[in-house]
Amino acid sequence: MEANNSRRDFLKKLAIGGGGVVILGQYHFLFANEAKNGILKAIIVDFDKCAGCQTCETVCSAFHHPVEIDGEMLKGLGNPKLANIQVYHYNPDMDIPSVCANCPDSPCVENCPSTPDINGNKAIYRDKLTLAIRTNHGICISCGTCADTCKDQRTGVIKMNPLTNHPEHICDHCGGDPQCVKYCPYGALSFQEVDIEKTYFGMSPTQIAEELFKRYYTTQEVIHG
Amino acid sequence: MDKIFGQYGVILDINLSTNKINKTQISKIDLKNYLGGRGLGMKILWDRIKKPGIDPLSPENIIMFMPGPFSGLPIPSSSRTTIVTKSPRTSPINKKYEHSSTISYANMGGFFGPEVKFAGYDGIVVTGKASSPVFILIEDDKVQIKSAESYWGLGTDSLDKKLIEEYGKNYQSCYIGQGGENLIPYASVLNTAARAAGRGGVGAVMGSKNLKAILVKGTQQPNLAKHKMYLDLLEKTRTAFQEDKTGGVISWRTGGTADALERSSDNGTMAVKNYREGTFKEIEKINTKAARTQIWKRDFACFSCQLACKKSGFAKGAYGGVVHDGPEYETGTMLGANLLISDLEGLNKMIYICDDYGIDIISTGGVLGFLMECREKGLIDLDFLDGVDLTWGNVDASIEMIHKIVKRDGVGKWAAMGVKALAKRIGQGSEEFAIHVKGHELAAWNVNTNASSMMITYGTANRGACHLNSSNPVRQNTNALRDSLGACSFAGSWYKGDISYRNFIEAITGAEQSDDEFNLIGERIFNLEKMFNLREGFDDKDDHLPERFFKDAHTYGKGEGKLATHEDFTKWIEAYYAERGWDVKTSKPKTEKLSQLGLDFTLQS
Repeated sequence: MEANNSRRDFLKKLAIGGGGVVILGQYHFLFANEAKNGILKAIIVDFDKCAGCQTCETVCSAFHHPVEIDGEMLKGLGNPKLANIQVYHYNPDMDIPSVCANCPDSPCVENCPSTPDINGNKAIYRDKLTLAIRTNHGICISCGTCADTCKDQRTGVIKMNPLTNHPEHICDHCGGDPQCVKYCPYGALSFQEVDIEKTYFGMSPTQIAEELFKRYYTTQEVIHG
Repeated sequence: MDKIFGQYGVILDINLSTNKINKTQISKIDLKNYLGGRGLGMKILWDRIKKPGIDPLSPENIIMFMPGPFSGLPIPSSSRTTIVTKSPRTSPINKKYEHSSTISYANMGGFFGPEVKFAGYDGIVVTGKASSPVFILIEDDKVQIKSAESYWGLGTDSLDKKLIEEYGKNYQSCYIGQGGENLIPYASVLNTAARAAGRGGVGAVMGSKNLKAILVKGTQQPNLAKHKMYLDLLEKTRTAFQEDKTGGVISWRTGGTADALERSSDNGTMAVKNYREGTFKEIEKINTKAARTQIWKRDFACFSCQLACKKSGFAKGAYGGVVHDGPEYETGTMLGANLLISDLEGLNKMIYICDDYGIDIISTGGVLGFLMECREKGLIDLDFLDGVDLTWGNVDASIEMIHKIVKRDGVGKWAAMGVKALAKRIGQGSEEFAIHVKGHELAAWNVNTNASSMMITYGTANRGACHLNSSNPVRQNTNALRDSLGACSFAGSWYKGDISYRNFIEAITGAEQSDDEFNLIGERIFNLEKMFNLREGFDDKDDHLPERFFKDAHTYGKGEGKLATHEDFTKWIEAYYAERGWDVKTSKPKTEKLSQLGLDFTLQS
């Protein structure tokens, strides 16, 4: 029954993450070109379209946690809990995908107290090439400030791995071709320039849900035509 | 032991009498022959319940929560959980034992089954009875039986909200409402407060064990036999849905099953006025267009599903204020057309109340329709109904009666027992329009307009009247097989050619088999269910339909004037038995058939 990964293995796997780079190294080029223009992009959710199927979670997880089969690195099975994008279900009915907003002011990075490495990057930093927020667990002091900051001020996607005590669940845009955007059956996700003026920018899933409850379930306004 | 792929070979076994928690091994051969879900549940039921006639609401009964080999993988529309138990709903015409009853299986979508798989189990089996209300909390290997005193008495909606608040996003849960607590024989089990394992009284069995809820969360997935083949199939399947040209995907998303309301009414196949008619004259008040413009707000999908057939309905006004799934075809017909109710907001509220209590809406609609007809015909008076004026189309009276049923208050005690028991009490020929087979109320598809098919569909279903059964043995077998995968019937039509269920099973479990061998699995499951029922004392007489369908032709609509005779029925059912390889008179599977299916063991008991 070696199929059964223990929780410890699971957490370790989560901590390693980023294996998707092995598969999709090819996109690096595409993505580098884009970043040169200095456009800050993120996964943008159209909350009116999301149906809560969690396909985004499964393709994110499958991409970032590949498995080696007969010497070949292949996409994994996609356990949703390993995903960087997370869908929250609410009652009354509402489904809210939550993913790193790639905030231009990156408070997670700003508040990180770690000592920068020789490239000037702290334990959580904005990658110069990809413009995505990345982590360097080697210099991380496991203080949890990034997760707390994100939770207090923004989406709250950053979570500390309970075993390694390093931050995780930060979207890396799959190297420029986000799997969640590609596979969302409902067209609810897009990879767009970050716009802090957008209604739900940087909000936690619960805050967004509260707003949507008001829109959907307390007015006579008919949403569907 | 041979290495098992795609599954764990492990069932979580929880005895609520002794508080013992075990991980029971399931053999590779049973996994291959019965897969999971409905099939594996049936096999375990046969193995564990060794003698016929046990009381389904006693600690002797067992209840199983079964995902399938597709569960926990993001294969489109593989969200289903089947709950399997011995039915508290059914009874034969001639009782061989006091508690003779059939197999029961009820199937729900949502997120529960996949999570059971993530936790590392091919199923959960609950036996015995807790001495006070409990719930089961599962996190991978860690399994706890905890007090549910603070949850007991809650409806499914408030319980769901409470569980989300207390346990957060990552747990999935299923539970009963007051219906299951009060052992209403048609109580349901719900996930996400709306996705119901509605039929066959599975909620009553859960309630009889003092089990309020199961919460599960997990981090695992089993290794697959042919990982690369699986990825290839998955990619192709996703493409098939994304590039769908049948219009099916769009139809499910915009209308869900509710799209069938108008079509069925037009075709004269709808249950209207306690099955007296097949067309609802006010259908435009409750059809998809009405729902979409007046109350539906959003579309919702189950785990990894591209169809999003669930809708959130929200109404204002006297019946407003609740957000709830509905109406869809079954709920809209059984509480709508069948009761001549066309008040869409009232209908939405009734659906909410039934789901909150956790009672099967199909059976509830059948019971209310039957009482309305008895009242109209003067077989019962207002006194019998405790003053609840159950007239056709009356929303308030229907709601009042639903409350009485769940509280078993006055006439509610009898109404809670279903139409078969009610007819026995009321008498005066009411049996003729007590719409059930084997004690299980019929669903929202009427019979007369398409009698040759619908009579066999309802008559031969192993859990008692069931609209999902089909009339054709091959399709019945396919349905049993699909219910054993964790796959959803609504998406069945996309799984053909390259991306067949068989190919997925080969990739997942490694089983290389021909279509014929694979289809034998469904036939095996169906026949094992049949053998269980025979052992309980059911025979061919129990496959008959109510007299209404031989006497009362629809007076208008597409089916107007159509009526089958008893001779017709005998001809159809005998042809069906023959096609099945069963004795055409007694309906018993022949020994050769059982041998062919590897079911010889059923003959030894």
